[in-house]
Amino acid sequence: MDMSWDSWGMLACLCTVLWHLPAVPALNRTGDPGPGPSIQKTYDLTRYLEHQLRSLAGTYLNYLGPPFNEPDFNPPRLGADTLPRATVNLEVWRSLNDKLRLTQNYEAYSHLLCYLRGLNRQAATAELRHSLAHFCTSLQGLLGSIAGVMATLGYPLPQPLPGTEPTWTPGPAHSDFLQKMDDFWLLKELQTWLWRSAKDFNRLKKKMQPPAAAVTLHLEAHGF
Amino acid sequence: MLLRDCPVISKRKPESMALFAVFQTTFLLTLLSLRTHQSEVLAEHLPLTPEALKVSVNSAQQCLHLQWTVHNLPYNQEFKMIFQIQISRTETSNVIWMGNYSTTMKRNETVHWSWESELPLECAAHFVRIRSVVDDARFPEWNFWSSWSSWQEVNVQDSTGQDTLFVFPKDKLVEEGSNITICYISGNIQNDISCYLEGEQIHGEQLDPHVSTFKLENVPFIRKGGTNIYCEEKQRKAISNGTVLFVSKVLEEPKDFSCETRDFKTLICTWDPGANTALDWSKQPSQSYTLFESYSGKKKHCEEKNRCNWQITQDSQEIYNFTLITENYLRKRSVNLLFNLTHRVHPMSPFSVQFENISATSAVMTWKVHSLGDYFTLLCQVELHGEGKMIQHNVSVKANGKYLLNELEPNTEYVAQVHCADDNHFWKWSEWSGRDFTTPEAAPSEAPDVWRTMKSGSHNVTLFWKPLSKFHANGKILFYNVAVENLDKPSRLEHRSIPAPANSTELTLDGCSYQIRVTASNSAGASPAAVIVVSAAPGNKEIEEEIIEGTEDGFSMSWKPQSGDVMGYVVEWCDRPQDPLCDFQWKKLGPNTTSTVISSDAFRPGVQYNFRIYELSTKRIAHLLERKTGYTRELAPSDNPHVVTNNLTSHSFTLSWKNYSTKSQPAFIRGYHVYLKSKEEQCQPGAEKAVLPDDTVCCQYKIDNPEQKTFTVENLKPESFYEFLVTPHTSFSEGPSGTFTKVRTPDEYPYMLVHVIVPVVICVVLLVCGCLLKSQWMKDKCYPDIPDPYKSSVLSLIKSKENPHRTIMSISDCIPDAIEVVNKQEGSKIQSLGTRKSLTEPELTKLSYLYLLPTEKNYSGPGPCICFENYTYNQAASDCASCGHAPVSPEAPPSQWGLLTSSENLLKALEKNYMNSLGEIPAGETTLNYVSQLASPMSGDKDSLSTNALVPPPCSEYKMQMAVPLCLASPPPTENSDLSSITLLGPSEHYR
Repeated sequence: MDMSWDSWGMLACLCTVLWHLPAVPALNRTGDPGPGPSIQKTYDLTRYLEHQLRSLAGTYLNYLGPPFNEPDFNPPRLGADTLPRATVNLEVWRSLNDKLRLTQNYEAYSHLLCYLRGLNRQAATAELRHSLAHFCTSLQGLLGSIAGVMATLGYPLPQPLPGTEPTWTPGPAHSDFLQKMDDFWLLKELQTWLWRSAKDFNRLKKKMQPPAAAVTLHLEAHGF
Repeated sequence: MLLRDCPVISKRKPESMALFAVFQTTFLLTLLSLRTHQSEVLAEHLPLTPEALKVSVNSAQQCLHLQWTVHNLPYNQEFKMIFQIQISRTETSNVIWMGNYSTTMKRNETVHWSWESELPLECAAHFVRIRSVVDDARFPEWNFWSSWSSWQEVNVQDSTGQDTLFVFPKDKLVEEGSNITICYISGNIQNDISCYLEGEQIHGEQLDPHVSTFKLENVPFIRKGGTNIYCEEKQRKAISNGTVLFVSKVLEEPKDFSCETRDFKTLICTWDPGANTALDWSKQPSQSYTLFESYSGKKKHCEEKNRCNWQITQDSQEIYNFTLITENYLRKRSVNLLFNLTHRVHPMSPFSVQFENISATSAVMTWKVHSLGDYFTLLCQVELHGEGKMIQHNVSVKANGKYLLNELEPNTEYVAQVHCADDNHFWKWSEWSGRDFTTPEAAPSEAPDVWRTMKSGSHNVTLFWKPLSKFHANGKILFYNVAVENLDKPSRLEHRSIPAPANSTELTLDGCSYQIRVTASNSAGASPAAVIVVSAAPGNKEIEEEIIEGTEDGFSMSWKPQSGDVMGYVVEWCDRPQDPLCDFQWKKLGPNTTSTVISSDAFRPGVQYNFRIYELSTKRIAHLLERKTGYTRELAPSDNPHVVTNNLTSHSFTLSWKNYSTKSQPAFIRGYHVYLKSKEEQCQPGAEKAVLPDDTVCCQYKIDNPEQKTFTVENLKPESFYEFLVTPHTSFSEGPSGTFTKVRTPDEYPYMLVHVIVPVVICVVLLVCGCLLKSQWMKDKCYPDIPDPYKSSVLSLIKSKENPHRTIMSISDCIPDAIEVVNKQEGSKIQSLGTRKSLTEPELTKLSYLYLLPTEKNYSGPGPCICFENYTYNQAASDCASCGHAPVSPEAPPSQWGLLTSSENLLKALEKNYMNSLGEIPAGETTLNYVSQLASPMSGDKDSLSTNALVPPPCSEYKMQMAVPLCLASPPPTENSDLSSITLLGPSEHYR
């Protein structure tokens, strides 16, 4: 089953990349490509990470054991309040400007990445550690990609406030069971964020896409 | 680090307690004088109630640490005291544990004591109180319990919200198989709560309305990440909280702990560590291993789990006492090993293995060993593998080893290897070091085994030889040399070289005696010669073949020597006698042997093997001594003879199966059984009753001579069915129960009939033939021809005088009453006068018949009827009306007419009559036959018919008449009717 999802995910990712391949040089020929390509790459990366996380979460939740690997497991969000929430009111989400949208993504993944690195400390099996490390690297890449888009659009990167650095050192009352719950929520929130990011970047992509007439005009001017 | 049990801390150390016991008597004597006074003092301050009781909690270890003091002890001296401790749970009255603790203490000294709770301390409030008694023989008057201290409450519940569910203990580390109690505190949650261990619900007991406890026994190891225990509210079906129980595998004692050195520089200690007890979430790392050497006092932490290297110092330490300690958070185990270093030497494997002076039968093997010092001698073991055999030799070696490998086989590949061990104190062999080598070839060591066959009546000799065994060949045989020498007259030796692997050659000799020498050669030389002499007079006399019984193991046979001076005997046979090549075999035996067992893997049951035993004279000439034949195992005959029946008579028949070969059968045929089935119950003499496998009873004739292949069954009944079966029989069985062949004996009378009837028939035939030959004569005599008036001379005279075209009697001149066609057969050709058209169809015949009906207009019904018949012509005619017919008047009802005149009915009636006319005229038919005494006027002269014949002749002296009943009278022909068809009736038809 995992292999099947992996295969479909890879295929979807490949198809997406191929679909956009012809568009990229055409846009490049117009001179300044703008933020379009980098937004597209960021979008593709979120889809790839989404697929990658599906495999990782399955492995990790099985490692935690029942009830965390049960399909209908829905624990209270006890210690996971510090995690950045991806869910947002639809109207609010629509009304977000580009800068805020990108900033929220950047901040969310910055925090999630930091939390995710904490998982690696507990996992004992080499295979799980390797998967986690690989995913962290990919997530770091997504963070860099978002930063690139923001830089292209001229938005400054959000600076973390002193003392607000997310930490993964549970308090003395934080039991391992609650820690496992937090791990579950971390993976779940990460997945929700990847879904949301795909929508965010899809929206940005459409917004940044120049009008079709203008593109045609540019093409004619360049002898196409 | 977590500890399994709570530490019980007392004020004094054990050493000081022992010291105190030694001097106790002294103190007692010294203090005896003060006893009265002291008693008075203590009595004033009693009771000695423990005071300043403090309770601290270690939640992780579920321990209560108590400390207290007794202020009222008089004097600054030690008292032996007993403290009684009570622990209550939930409320003070619920005492769950009570015990004594004995110790010695001084006044104001603090006493420490710990208690481990099986229930997590968070689950309920605990209460503790203590009382004491002086248990000192010096002060027996104080030996009574003090009053209890006040209850001290211990409450370690979290100060978290009351709406939250808690599960305790948190993240407990336990060993596999242990028992543990957990609890949940539900606070103000009113809903029912269920708890699960890895998805399986667990059931506990309620401690109070908000606390339930669960006892888990013999907890298993599930995963390194811990066993999840969680509780959920039934109504919300949402996980409220849980805990992770980290179950560690039990730490095992290291097994097979051993140390050795290979170079006197390093000791290598190895062991089997057993299961890894590591847990995730930083709960417990893998167990650690530490080596401790007691003589040197050195300790080393081992990096690896199953081995550790210990550096040997140069202080000449020989005896080592190692302790291997392994521990994790829950347990500590150790094993000990004491040894002398020189007894634990495991030499390194030898090197530079070489072979020198390799010959066909020997080689020198050399090797080197790593030196262990001047005082060490190594015992090396050389192993030689070759030809499926293994030879071991032991050699003592200081530094360089050398060994002569002899008794080797030429042209053989060997593998030689060597390993070494300490010669003084054997500990372990080193690893093997080895190489392979091949000895060169040598000349074959033995003459080939040669034998010959000679075709009778010719001088062709076929020489056979067996390939030399590898042991005797000493290399690859390249060719065989055959030298032929004439012994009767001096001549040149004839040499012949046959390349290997041929194993035979054919020689054509003359009538002289020859000596033949055969040698086998390889690259190193030739073998000794095998000599055989072929005598000029082979003297193969007729020797009767003797039957021997074989077994699965072969044929055992013996023979009688004829002359005392023999070189030996040879038994020859064919392994596959059915094959043309036969796979010729022989066996040579010594002169004193007169029996042998011939066995071969090629021998098969049911195959007849023939053996010839030859005697070899001292001149190497072979004489046939005996012939034997037999089967390893006789099989039942697979088929029955094909039997032919001869000489079948009414009382006997002969059976013959001459094509049946007794030689090619799978057993010796001893005879035949003839089975005869018949309806007769009794068997003939010479036969006896036999019951067949299908329970049928028949008669059995026995033939004991296998060469008798005919048998006559006699005394049979004529015209009877018999069934027979001929089957061969051997000494133990007979052929298959095949199908019986049926025979019917003929009738005995036909012979007589033939003798009578045949001559009679011949006579009759001869008589008929004679009659035919004289038919004219017979005709003339018996029924002479009636003269033809047309051919009379009178008629010819009239013709010539008058009209030559005119006939005397013309049909046109006649007025026929009726014309009957007599004996007109279907398909007969009717020739039209003008066209000669052939009319064969019955329809046409009918039509023509129709037109032949009476046409006379003045026909007036029935007239006088005269019937007559000319039997000579066998023709029938009938006249009109009344002959045998009821007269039909013209006044007959029209309906009758209508019926009868309808053409269909008419045709039917005509057809019927016509058909009748083809056969016999049945009696009682309504037609009358008028048969003319003369032929038709046209008979015999068809050509004379002319068209004017259509004109009816006015009269006729001889006319054919047919009486057609009125019912069949047809209407007069129409104009279209072709009256000429009347003439279709030629005379010939009439004559038929």
